[in-house]
Amino acid sequence: MFNRSLRRRTVLAGVMLAALAGVSPSVLAQDISGDLVILQWQTGTDGQMWKDVEAKFMEMHPGVTIKEFQPAGGQGDARGGMRTALMGGEVVDIIINTWPAFRAELVNAGILRPIDDQWASFGWDDKLSQSWRDLGSIDGTTYGITYTYGDRSAIWYKTAQLEKAGVTPPKTWDEFIASFDKLKAAGYPAPVVIPAKYWAHTEWFETLLLRTAGVDVAAQLAAHQIPWTDPKVKAALMKYAEMLQAGCCAPAATMLAIEEPYPTLYTAEESNYMLFGMWTNAALKNDLKLEEGVDYSIFQFPALGMGFDDTSSVDTKELNVTTNGANPAAADAFLDYIVSPEASAIMAGYGYASPSSAADGSLLGPVQQIATGAVSSSKVQFVLGDLLPGDLVDEYRVQLQKFLQNPTEATVDEVLAAIEAKAATAY
Amino acid sequence: MIGRIHWWTVVLVGVIATIWVIPVLGIVVTSLRPPSEVALGWWRLDTFSITFDAWIRVWDEYPLAQAFWFTAMLAALATLGTMLLTPAAAYAFHFLNFPFRRLLLILIINAFVLPQQVVVIPLFTLWRDLKLIDNIAAVLIPYVGMSFAWSIFLVKNFLEDFPKELIEAAKIDGCGPLSTLRHIVLPNATSPIFAVGVLQFLWTWNALLLPMLYLRSMQPLPVLLTKVSGTYESNWDLRSVAAIVTTIVPLIVFVIFQRQFAAGSQTRTGAKE
Amino acid sequence: MSRSLPQMVADPADVSSRDGGGRLRLPATRGWRIKETPAAWLLITPVIILFGISVVYPLFDTLRLSFFDIKGLAPAKWVGFGNYVTLFNDATFRNTLLTTLIFTLGTTVISVSLGWALAMLCAFAPVHTTPFRGMMFVTFGISEAVSGYMWLNILRPDKAGLLNAIIGNFIPGFAHSWLGDPNTALWSLIFVASWSGVGLPLMLCFAAVQSIPRTVLEAAYMDGAKPTSIMRHIMMPLSLPGVRVAIFINLLGALRAFDIIYVMTGGGPVRATETVGYFMYRESMTQFKLGYGAAATVVLLVAVLVISIPAIIQRTAGAK
Repeated sequence: MFNRSLRRRTVLAGVMLAALAGVSPSVLAQDISGDLVILQWQTGTDGQMWKDVEAKFMEMHPGVTIKEFQPAGGQGDARGGMRTALMGGEVVDIIINTWPAFRAELVNAGILRPIDDQWASFGWDDKLSQSWRDLGSIDGTTYGITYTYGDRSAIWYKTAQLEKAGVTPPKTWDEFIASFDKLKAAGYPAPVVIPAKYWAHTEWFETLLLRTAGVDVAAQLAAHQIPWTDPKVKAALMKYAEMLQAGCCAPAATMLAIEEPYPTLYTAEESNYMLFGMWTNAALKNDLKLEEGVDYSIFQFPALGMGFDDTSSVDTKELNVTTNGANPAAADAFLDYIVSPEASAIMAGYGYASPSSAADGSLLGPVQQIATGAVSSSKVQFVLGDLLPGDLVDEYRVQLQKFLQNPTEATVDEVLAAIEAKAATAY
Repeated sequence: MIGRIHWWTVVLVGVIATIWVIPVLGIVVTSLRPPSEVALGWWRLDTFSITFDAWIRVWDEYPLAQAFWFTAMLAALATLGTMLLTPAAAYAFHFLNFPFRRLLLILIINAFVLPQQVVVIPLFTLWRDLKLIDNIAAVLIPYVGMSFAWSIFLVKNFLEDFPKELIEAAKIDGCGPLSTLRHIVLPNATSPIFAVGVLQFLWTWNALLLPMLYLRSMQPLPVLLTKVSGTYESNWDLRSVAAIVTTIVPLIVFVIFQRQFAAGSQTRTGAKE
Repeated sequence: MSRSLPQMVADPADVSSRDGGGRLRLPATRGWRIKETPAAWLLITPVIILFGISVVYPLFDTLRLSFFDIKGLAPAKWVGFGNYVTLFNDATFRNTLLTTLIFTLGTTVISVSLGWALAMLCAFAPVHTTPFRGMMFVTFGISEAVSGYMWLNILRPDKAGLLNAIIGNFIPGFAHSWLGDPNTALWSLIFVASWSGVGLPLMLCFAAVQSIPRTVLEAAYMDGAKPTSIMRHIMMPLSLPGVRVAIFINLLGALRAFDIIYVMTGGGPVRATETVGYFMYRESMTQFKLGYGAAATVVLLVAVLVISIPAIIQRTAGAK
């Protein structure tokens, strides 16, 4: 089994291998061949995007055959199935990952190979700034190369609905709350749709925490340097309660049964706002055939005036390479490819923004441009739920479900105490 | 039944039975109508059109056809394994005498109470260490191994009413135990063996938990079904098609052979009468 | 509930055992079995090996693992009864015990009593209700996962959910998010499990009633007995063996339930539908706490064994 010293040895071996390989990466990159296995867990439109991205790579490197490995299991959160696969001895070259906590878990298990040498030899500094590199690092060692990022503090709406109700996209929290009555009068019973079956109800809390307490407090909470019972955390949850008490939403039971919010908003037209990640863009365009920027758009989370309105919650997706993969050379070349103009252009077509400076920003649609603009002008913090250890994140989501059922101060105290109790054992 | 027919019971049972099949009707209709029409309910007739769009698309978007053949192969192999090994063992347990016979028998036929959750962790670690994860043996072995708990019981029960005279006559004619099995017992025990086969087929076709955990690159239909919804979308039309494809074969088998189950032990008592 | 077709047919306390005395069985004397040890071992060795790998070994290994703390890829650590202590101090687990109890009893009571009642009704018009019995029995042949999807479609909280559309029509404002409300989610699952399970007791009890000799019923009818009293005094008592079998199979199936929970609720909302069988999966296969999951499995196993004591005694005694 992997213990610390073995892990150090693995890391060392990885570094040595990388040093050897790093002699002349450009030559190697042309010589790559064989199978390349990618642990790819996205389905639907995102899965299709990956097929396209992979096809382009194979076209550029005819010797390489990419095989996708799709994990099963893990309703709601793909990590369950990914763990089953990796713990079951599945060997892959590349892992697509969107959870920093999961990256740490994989590093601890000795599965990930550092990519600092590749970073230097491929010259990724030209494409990704230091802050993106930091985002993919653990204690100064780089493991992840970010290929897309998204604004998680953007609220989606259907343009026609707001026009019908005479509402302009609210700038401040008070305007936002005040718009509920107008929207209800216009025939939309639950202005905000919160899909709380698995995890999406935590989004509101997370951006509210950023806007009421700032990125530092959020980072400290993620690392459990402050307890969940901290008054600042409570204040954020009370803001959430304020919104619920203002009649934003359907009954808790409805929220808890909703897995994906698009039908409620865009088909049944019962709701108007949703706080959801940028993958929404692909879903609305491709599945609901709506026109980006015309039929729907986004506005950045309304300002609370508490001094932290320049903050944004973001997510990223990154690629990790494994220590035991059979084809490290091809894996490294794929990392280089993923921040190239070619890959970025394919992803832009699906509505995903690349952090790479080699990407052509003008290929992005209007909504995506609003989002990238908002992120670049904000202090950003990674989605809190994705930073928490696996054990704790389960409890965090379940407790916030409890909060939704009865958003009172007493529940808030109870819920935060329960999360804190779990956090005490989880780190 | 004697006496007059009680029509009110026919009507009552008919109403309940109709309600009973509505969910089945639901996915059939959902699979055949465009999503925009059924967004407000698959039963609504405001606009009504039939489309095979989902039925065509699902094969491209998900490896449904591959999964179908793979499921059929798994079920066939597991069924074959059980049908071959069970009668031999049941015959040995019933007609032959050997050390530990009764102890082994008791052990095997009582294992039917064990929940499948018991095998999950031990076999997972075992397959991992033997590098058998993603090998069809990882599910075939437990499929067949766990089936003995009920299959041997079923066949042996049938053999209890098997004319002993036939066995003795064969012995006098110089038949060894193996040729007695082959020429005397097997030809006359097709009905319980067949029943075992049908049950095993249904059970393995519908299995979800073990293949979900032990198989990777190829997945049988029930596992695929749980994946037929986009990462963040729900695709009800495609889901419905996948559900129908998943269940159609075992359902047909079940309908055809329901007599086998209907009367409980018809296979057994049928031989008696 | 977990589909238990195989057990149904192979169950010891089968309806037919009622007429077990009707025919002379072969005496189980020691003498008549042919002493053929080598041939016997040849025939049963494959069975012993496969059975050993997939039943005996897992049984002991689960027990062994339950005494270790194993997290992911870290080395196993002996903790004695530590996992069990943690388990019973874990409010989540204690809650799953209660959930399991409600789910198991609820499914069994509803499906068996409904199936029994329907069988009695059908007995009054056996021919004319044949297609209807078939329709209800067919749902028993649909796998749990597929049944789950069918019902997700009916129970959807939005406008496309049939149940709410119907209820909303008759009682405005009573439309409900059945699977989203922790108070109704478990009962929704119980209902769905009963929906798919009712065919079994229906058929078992109906078969039992059908095999009542015509002469008995005719005599009762000639004596002027009312249909209701025929039902109460003849049919109901004589179908009890069928009921007993159905209850047992339902209990076993519900205790091990997994598929339907996985498909319909994933244990939620707020863990309201997490049974021991599902908890075990979540802890061991998504969180990779193998030892902890094994301990939960042992608890499940104990429950199963307790319920099965009568059946085990009967089988053991009958194993000649």
